[in-house]
Order: sequence, then structure tokens, then C-alpha cells
Amino acid sequence: MLEIKNVKKSFRDLEVLKDVSLDIGDGEVVVILGPSGSGKTTLLRCISFLEKADGGSLTLGDKEVSLKKATKKQINEFRKNMAFVFQNYNLFANKTVLENVMEGLTVARKIPKQEAMERALEALEWVGVINKKDAYPSELSGGQQQRVGIARAVVLNPEVILFDEPTSALDPELVGEVLDLIKKVAKRGITMIVVTHEISFAEEVASRVVFMDGGVVVEEGTPDKILVSPKEERTKEFLSRVLPKDMYYI
Amino acid sequence: MRAFRWDMFTEFFVKILPYISVTLTYVVGSVLFGFFIGIGIAMLRLSKKRALQVIGSLYVTIFRSVPSVVLLFVIYYGLPMWVENSFGIILEDTDTIVYVIVTFSLLLGSSMSEIIRTSYLAVPKGQYEAAVMVGLTPFTAIRRIVFPQGFVVALPNFGNIFIFMIKEGALAYTIGLHDILGRGMYLGGLKANVYNLELYLALTFIYWPCTFILEKAFKMWEKSLRNKRKKEKIC
Repeated sequence: MLEIKNVKKSFRDLEVLKDVSLDIGDGEVVVILGPSGSGKTTLLRCISFLEKADGGSLTLGDKEVSLKKATKKQINEFRKNMAFVFQNYNLFANKTVLENVMEGLTVARKIPKQEAMERALEALEWVGVINKKDAYPSELSGGQQQRVGIARAVVLNPEVILFDEPTSALDPELVGEVLDLIKKVAKRGITMIVVTHEISFAEEVASRVVFMDGGVVVEEGTPDKILVSPKEERTKEFLSRVLPKDMYYI
Repeated sequence: MRAFRWDMFTEFFVKILPYISVTLTYVVGSVLFGFFIGIGIAMLRLSKKRALQVIGSLYVTIFRSVPSVVLLFVIYYGLPMWVENSFGIILEDTDTIVYVIVTFSLLLGSSMSEIIRTSYLAVPKGQYEAAVMVGLTPFTAIRRIVFPQGFVVALPNFGNIFIFMIKEGALAYTIGLHDILGRGMYLGGLKANVYNLELYLALTFIYWPCTFILEKAFKMWEKSLRNKRKKEKIC
């Protein structure tokens, strides 16, 4: 169980998150939608401590931590239960594909090398880039890099995986295969929070859709409820802009 | 006009050659300690605390604006006095080379800190973020992911620092160190400075291969590091 409570964050005078709370059950796939600047990415970065929030707390399992006052030790503990998939993949440029996937196992979790390698190879097989295991990230296509990014997250067996616009940097023809892979991750029953612009993905995979705008959660609910019959004016307006006319149900 | 004496040239060359070891000692020593000072100063300058930033930039400004010779004499006269007055230790028998290494470590520390700082900033922030998100501590993330990548960026500049140090270090003769130049000037003096052309030409042919080999070695090192990550820049 993941509980995000009253997260606030400002960059100088700009209030990016105004008191955001979310309750996420085990195995839920929560898709966060919203226009750019709505605070979705900042929310992910705050709960993973990549940005220091001005207030709010995070509960993961039975442990709670203040997002503002967490100590280095607490941050490290919480991060070991989560994984992050980045928009720009952020594979370690000085490591091979296999080393990228092993790093979190051997160095952070002190798993013996042999076992770590077996798990890493299995994860690479699962995401379909096993043939590139000895290549460096720069030798891979964007789609392959993001597959490795997903393998690097899944191999850690985290309680939750945070996806920050995982397909936004990809060439259009590669988006589909990466989304298919993320669906495969969802089927494994891992709790996921996905920030994306892919409405059809939300419709198909999400157990819950959260619509954010202006630093607040405008409305949330099942994909049917939010995407087909939204209540709030702001949600309707956003959907009318992002959905092609013939796909717009309302 | 007298004729050029090749025998003198050879004599100087052969007699000075062993003193390469002295020059290399202070070059390696100064670069090594300067590197650690540089890391420290770069950390200060990259710190979020304003006061630490100021201390860091103050260090860089001070040591960048003092000529090496001046600092060399300040350390040569000042260090023994300071150590004796504050710790009661008398440094009279200390080898001259120690003062040379102290001086140039301090000096190189300021230029190294700039190299280290800019190389660190050249590594995309996402590399660090990805590292801590797989569970590495901030220190381990920097050591295993950010540092190795920054090092490749910094390497050509480190090569230049070495070459600068070989040449600038020759100033050590001013405090009486017998390195390549110091020994050469001493031997020249024994011949009443009559064969100075032969002497300095011999010095030229000793210094030149030193810097040349070093330059090539750094190029090869850089190339091997880049080859390891083949098409990195292309994609």
C-alpha cells in the first residue's frame, strides 16, 4: 500500500503542487494525466525524493516518512522499495546493458554477483534485449534503451515502479512496443504510477486514472469514469484537446 | 666565435639525464596532491551553502593570481616558520623538493578544481538520479557512475596539467633544487657558464621527449577509454 499525503512543492514563487494526496492499493496501476505544467512529474520526483517537497508524507508498506524532513538513511531505505523509469532512460553511459541491470542488485542490495547476473539476464530476456547485453547504451535505439530501463527497474522487485513519461522521448513507431512492455509489467501485479500522455494506454491498462491540473488532483476514478464521462470542466476540456475528434466519446 | 662543442653537449646530456627522476617526483607528487585538493575545492564550489562556495572561489582566485615563483618563495620561507611557531617542529632538514610539491599542489589545486567542477557538471544529472533510484547512496552514485564519466571528460585537461607542471616546475631551481634544470645550471656554473649554449640545448633535448611521451600517453589513454564505449558520441 502506498499513501501520498498533502504533498506541497514550490519552485521559487511558482506553486507546482498544492496539497496533493493519493491512496494507492497493492497492484494498482495508477495513470496520471494532465496538461504540461500540471505537476505530474514533480509529484513523482517528490515521492522519490529527487525533489525535496515543502511538505507532505509518504507511506510505503507500514513505514511513513516526511517528504520534507527525511534523513539520508530513510531516503535510501524508501528508495530500495521503489524503482523509477525515466523519460530519457538515463541508462548508465559507462556501463554495459547487463551491468546497468545488475548495478542495483550487486552494489545497492549486496546480492552475490552470480545470482545478480542470473536475475539480470532473466530480466533482459523478459524485456527482449538479451542480444544486446554486452552493448553500451549509446549503441541502442531509444526503444531498446527504455526496455533496458524497464528491466533495470523490474529486476529490483520493488513494491512500486514510477514511470515518468516513459514514451515521450521515443520515435512514434517505437512507442507501441514500449507501451506493450509496460502492460506486461502491469500484468505481473506490481504497483505502478505512470505519468503519460498516452490516453489509450490509460484506458486499457489503468485501474485508476488521476487527472491533475494546476498542482491539484482535479478528479480521479476508473478509466471509464474519467475518460468517458468526466465530471469536471477542466477534465473535459483537456480530453477534447488531446483526443482526436472521432475518439472523443462525450 | 667559438665552435659548438658536441662533446660538452653530450657530457651535459648524460650527466643531467638521471635527474629526470627528481623532476618526475615533484610532477607526479604535485599532480596527485593537487588532484585531491582540487576535489575538495570543487566540492566546496558545488555545495549548496553560500559560505562554502565563497571559500572555494576565494581559494581559486588567490592561487590563480599569484605567480608560481612568488608562491614558491612564500612557502619556502613561510612554511618552516609557521610549522615551528605553531607546532614546535623544526623543518631545517626537510628536503627542498617537499616545498616544491607543497607549492605546486596548492597551485594545481585551483586549476584542477575548475577542471573537476566543469567535468562533473558535464555529466547529465539524470545519471546521478538513476543511480540513487536503483538504491545507490549519493556517495556511491558519484563514485561509480558520475566520476568515471566525468573523468573521461577531464582527461585531456589533466594531460595539459602534467605538461604545464613539467615546464613550470623548472622554477624549482630558484630555491636550489637539483632537478633537470637545477642540475643543469649547477653543471654549467662549474664550467664558468662558457658552454651555456651546449647546456641549454641539452636541456631542450631532455625536456622535449618528456612532454612528448606524456602527451602521447594521455592521448592513448583517452582513446582507450573512449573505445570502451564505442559510438557514445554518435548516437
